[in-house]
Amino acid sequence: MLIYKEKGRSRMKTGKMIKPIVSFIIIIAFVIAFTACSSGKKPDTPEKVTFVLDWAPNTNHTGIYVAKEKGFYRDQGLEVEIIQPQEGSSDTIVASGKAQFGISYQEGVTYARAAGVPLVSIAAVIQHNTSGFASLKEKNILSPKDFEGKTYGGWGSETEIATIKYLMDQEGADFSKVNIMTTGDADFFQASASGQIDFAWIFEGWAGIEAKLKGIELNYIDLGRIAPVFDYYTPVIITNEDILKNNKELAESFMKATIKGYEFAIENPDEAAEIMISAVPELNRELVVESQRFLAEHYKGDAEKWGLQKQEVWQRYTDWMYENGFIEENIDVTKAYTNEFIK
Amino acid sequence: MPVAVALAFIVLWQLAVDIFDIEAFILPGPVNILRSLYKERELLLSHALVTLGEAFAGFGIAVVAGICFGLLMGFCEPVRIALYPIFVVSQTIPLIVLAPLFAVWFGFGFLPKVIIIVLVCFFPIAVTFAQDLLKVDEDMDFMLRVMGAGRWKSFVLARIPKALPGLFSGLKIAATYSIMGAVISEWVGAKKGLGIFMTRAMTSFRTAALFADVVLIVVLSLGLYKLIELIEKKIINHADI
Repeated sequence: MLIYKEKGRSRMKTGKMIKPIVSFIIIIAFVIAFTACSSGKKPDTPEKVTFVLDWAPNTNHTGIYVAKEKGFYRDQGLEVEIIQPQEGSSDTIVASGKAQFGISYQEGVTYARAAGVPLVSIAAVIQHNTSGFASLKEKNILSPKDFEGKTYGGWGSETEIATIKYLMDQEGADFSKVNIMTTGDADFFQASASGQIDFAWIFEGWAGIEAKLKGIELNYIDLGRIAPVFDYYTPVIITNEDILKNNKELAESFMKATIKGYEFAIENPDEAAEIMISAVPELNRELVVESQRFLAEHYKGDAEKWGLQKQEVWQRYTDWMYENGFIEENIDVTKAYTNEFIK
Repeated sequence: MPVAVALAFIVLWQLAVDIFDIEAFILPGPVNILRSLYKERELLLSHALVTLGEAFAGFGIAVVAGICFGLLMGFCEPVRIALYPIFVVSQTIPLIVLAPLFAVWFGFGFLPKVIIIVLVCFFPIAVTFAQDLLKVDEDMDFMLRVMGAGRWKSFVLARIPKALPGLFSGLKIAATYSIMGAVISEWVGAKKGLGIFMTRAMTSFRTAALFADVVLIVVLSLGLYKLIELIEKKIINHADI
């Protein structure tokens, strides 16, 4: 009697329990189905995008930060996360797909493609190469032939050395008289002022501006101007072929917002500088403001639109790299870049 | 005494900077650095919290793993022979080379950072603990055997308490490494942290801010060291009683 009662009660219990569980599962299923449907149609759950810089943030990246802070990416249904990687690792990261887009430079893309890594440059951040060789004024280094007997401080890459040699050969100077030193990330001003180095390769829009702010007089040799072959694209925005093949809409919407960001920076350098500083408060404020004014003139330069790349520029530097043995096989430059997203 | 030496060094440093009129971008003086530390305090704090979070997570895992493997290696000789060379090799890998690969394998989240910190912190803990566990005190062993204790019991009763100072010296080394490990791990790729602050200050020529960041890293590392020392005193005193 007792046992029967117990059984009955327990049966009653399970019966009662099943109903709420079932309805709970149904509700959950509905919720999942609905969110899945709506996320497919509406952009209210933004697509996550990882953007990897080439190293520490600087004014080359302002358009990206502007597009993020001003909500241009959000308007395109994107949630962009900006990552600062170890120097020189952005190519690998974008190639692997851990980041969809990133910053690199023409040389990096060429190396990658020559090695079979399918990176594509989708925009030139600055139209002309704004880097060159800088030295303190009193060193009297006015042209590459003055490199003789001087110490160069660099990152220790082969292309740097070949570039210096090429420039000196052009002027009939003796490259073997240059003392090449690897200083890595050592600060140009510290290394110069302490007499460790005589000249270094700098970005005019960053270290060149900082020199002005510090009241240090420099001699600056503009690389692209003295040898057109070196007027290559640095930096560029890259993505991988997988995205261009299978997710072109992503590249389109990403670039739409990015273009808006850079156009804003071109038209409003001071406001863009403020956006940059509030997004990256660790930076040197004065430097960002002045650098932004400098770059506002250079982002687009003489091009019809910001970001456009020319085959000629790609071809001549790639040929130079091939002729100097940096790549074993020449690459098809038309696959290395595209203007498809510059509208 | 060390405080006095440090103070004297700081005063000399400031004097040298003032007397020789050294430009702040070459070598900022201590006053300049302190000013920068104060000015950047909120920003530095927000970065420090991220770095501390990573350091604690990595250090915590390293402590648990280090103690477990230390015990295993200390108790069982074949395990030690099998694992020890691998651990030594793990210490010879230049982390800076691994960094970009870590980004490719594990992305930019918490995981690659914790792995790097564990790689750095695990070794000193496991090795110092195992080494002290292997030290044989024959009299003690004999006594315990006479009293009827087996190998396991004498290991727990005699060897482990005796190896605690060794364990703690490993823990202290690991604690000081953990913050630096976290800073290095941020160079793999991150959005925030003292390592990120460092490269940003450096690339925008803010030498004083760079030094302020370094001071904070030193203070945090010392703080962790002291914390371990405090715990050591408590536990070892307790064990003595």
